[in-house]
Amino acid sequence: MSTRKPSDFKSELKPIWCPGCGDFGVLASLYRSMADLDLDPTQTVVVSGIGCSSRLPHFVSTYGIHTLHGRPLPVAMGVKLANPELTVIAVGGDGDGFAIGAGHFPHAARRNVDITYLVMDNEIYGLTKGQASPTSQFQQKAPTTPFGNPEDPLNTLAFALSAGASFVARGASFNTKALTELITQAIEHKGFAYIDAMSPCVVFNNTQNLWKETVTDVAPDHDVTDRVAAFDLALRGGFTLGILYRQERLSQTERYQAILEKAKVSDVDTMLNAFNARQGVAIGKPS
Amino acid sequence: MSARHSVVIRLAGESGEGVISSGDILTQAAARGGYYTQTFRTFPAEIKGGPCMYQFRLSDEPIWSHGKDVDLLVCFNQEAWDLNWDSLGPDGVILYDVTEVTVPEEYLPRARPVRMEALAKEIGGSLRAKNMVAVGAVTGVIEFDTTPIEELVLRRFAHKEGVGQANIAALHAGSDEAADLKGRYPLVPPVEVDEDRMLISGNQAIAIGAVAAGVKYFAGYPITPASDILEWLSVRLPQVGGITIQCEDEIASLASVVGASYAGVKAMTATSGPGLSLMSELIGYAGTAEIPVVIVNAQRGGPSTGLPTKTEQSDLNQALYGSHGDAPRIVMAPVSVEDCFFAIIDAFNYAEQYQVPVILLTDQGLATRLEVIHRPDVSKLTLTPRKTSKGMAREDYKRYEYTADHVSPMGIPGEPNGMYVATGIEHDEYGHPAYTPEIHLNMSHKRWDKLDPLRTEARQAAHGETQPTDVAFIGFGSTFGPVREAIDRLTELGMSVGSFYPRVLAPFPAQAVIDFVADARRVIVPELNFTGQLARLIKAETGIELESVAQCNGLPFTAEAIMDLVTQEVAV
Repeated sequence: MSTRKPSDFKSELKPIWCPGCGDFGVLASLYRSMADLDLDPTQTVVVSGIGCSSRLPHFVSTYGIHTLHGRPLPVAMGVKLANPELTVIAVGGDGDGFAIGAGHFPHAARRNVDITYLVMDNEIYGLTKGQASPTSQFQQKAPTTPFGNPEDPLNTLAFALSAGASFVARGASFNTKALTELITQAIEHKGFAYIDAMSPCVVFNNTQNLWKETVTDVAPDHDVTDRVAAFDLALRGGFTLGILYRQERLSQTERYQAILEKAKVSDVDTMLNAFNARQGVAIGKPS
Repeated sequence: MSARHSVVIRLAGESGEGVISSGDILTQAAARGGYYTQTFRTFPAEIKGGPCMYQFRLSDEPIWSHGKDVDLLVCFNQEAWDLNWDSLGPDGVILYDVTEVTVPEEYLPRARPVRMEALAKEIGGSLRAKNMVAVGAVTGVIEFDTTPIEELVLRRFAHKEGVGQANIAALHAGSDEAADLKGRYPLVPPVEVDEDRMLISGNQAIAIGAVAAGVKYFAGYPITPASDILEWLSVRLPQVGGITIQCEDEIASLASVVGASYAGVKAMTATSGPGLSLMSELIGYAGTAEIPVVIVNAQRGGPSTGLPTKTEQSDLNQALYGSHGDAPRIVMAPVSVEDCFFAIIDAFNYAEQYQVPVILLTDQGLATRLEVIHRPDVSKLTLTPRKTSKGMAREDYKRYEYTADHVSPMGIPGEPNGMYVATGIEHDEYGHPAYTPEIHLNMSHKRWDKLDPLRTEARQAAHGETQPTDVAFIGFGSTFGPVREAIDRLTELGMSVGSFYPRVLAPFPAQAVIDFVADARRVIVPELNFTGQLARLIKAETGIELESVAQCNGLPFTAEAIMDLVTQEVAV
């Protein structure tokens, strides 16, 4: 039984988001999930990049690290590897995660870094006032795409699946009950859990009504352990909400624990001995 | 010929012919025999093919440079001769492969053909034994005990039956080749002393020093000439409960180091110029969020891809100024292989004490050369702990609190009383985003003023007169050795000469430099780059008059070149 309430996770700072922003719904879902899981705030770290949604750690009463544009994933990995006891949740937007930070995403996925990655996807750059993002639709008009977006959007769910994410899901800010449940399952998941949280920007790309009308739920008979079926859902288009894929696989934390167990225990003196000039054995490759 | 204190040997050939392994074996054997050694090598940026060279100097006395005039040049092929003949000293002798190399007539009196390939095949059983014939020929001319070499050869080929013995036969055959030169360079035998010495490279000294400093997280991306550190720690760090990870790029490397340090462990990365460029933004982040990180930068020739396998000191500007805004950092430069060990420990101590990124600058020469050093006494090391929020009351806690020394207690996840959000956005004492003029000014003061004590308190390096009246040398990093050797020789000539080498270049010890040069007739600033980056820094920080000697050829200074600076006038 949880002893913590969602409001316990609110910080003294009020969100700076515009009225109606989808990120409020995502934040509310995160508070509720944290309470449901009864997370210890002192053992929890929320990591973000730069952007509207990346302000989120400041509004959560846990440890937090508001990093650079595009860098929450490697920072989160460092936090988790340094202290595997911590619950680490990375958050950010679609530009942060899939434009400037896209180089890190497949590596976090294939390493199965034991963190949750919650992307608030509004298909636009909100903080810089509405430019096209990597998830903007083809022909979408934006200040940087006056003739309509000449690029196709990145399919982040298929990207996550192909890179080896072991938990792939989609939620929506306007469906906080379901999103809360997804976040809870993602945090409980062992390994890299990716959630695409559709979170409309009501000022620069108001997709709220369109999305509300088009979302559907993952079919109840969908087998979440079937990666091919997950790809099928991801590639079919449309907005399917729910867990697409879940896989039990060694997390990065477990892999490094295995390395630590395999390594023979040593100390600095022993390491210095290997360079003894009168015995001379340490040149070249480490022995 | 009377016994000498030092001899310089250069082996040259094609990459893949065993030139480097020959040099390593001879260096190890000399070290085992009790000699001091220093090596210098150049190799191509390609894996197979291209000219490579291994120079090593050995002496019964401590030596500070790799030497200039080669006493014994060993040429594996014609290109080796063409590229290296001009390194020969006036009395230097040449050993060359009889089938591969043609030596000009005027050098023939001091050149001896060696049947490297023929003997390798006949006696060593394979052309691959060519380098053992060469090693043997060297030990014939420079008389030293081959027992350690034989032991090393047997150990190296322990898993291949007969190969070790065949190689030893090739070694002996080689040593008889230049029979009439036997004993040409008798060396003063080393004094047997009861002290622990190590044969180690700069990169290895840094890696082991980091372990001694308590590093528990290392992330890096392969890059010449820093990859050794990543490889060495991949093996060793797990042995002391730490993690080494190869990341997808240098950005991820430093980003994860920031994360690990935020979570409370000592963390570092190592790279070279191109990698440091990619890390620039994160250096500013760590400086602003006040998260301790250590970055080793083994400089190579730049700019861009530049000279990946050659030495240069051209990343000083980048280390000092790289990253937008007024980004604080400490920049250090160890002056020798031995100093690499102590400098990385200082780097961690400074990073933890001041909660700031520390960039440690070495260079290809220093990073990869092998040197005999005194074994450091680990029991005498002092490690500086981080100031944390441990024991503080929650309602009092301000992560970026203004304090007398401008360093604030850092909350570490898991600590009940230190919860905060680290951020690179301008912030108030709580870490909350805040952009008022007053806060930006106060926080800028906090981030910079905390480093001021280091200007006077940092341990610097120096040699010779502390206030020379003739020549004052100011430099950084690996040029210390040849300058030191030149100072000793100039002092013997009766001159008043000294050097001052800031091991901490940022914040810069301006007053110490001004005091050092107060009485000097000449101030010379030798450095390995094109634009005189250190000279410009010194001028900016002190306004003193100086002579900039910027050498930009991918090679280290020799002591002789430094000597020449004093005997020849230099354009100011």
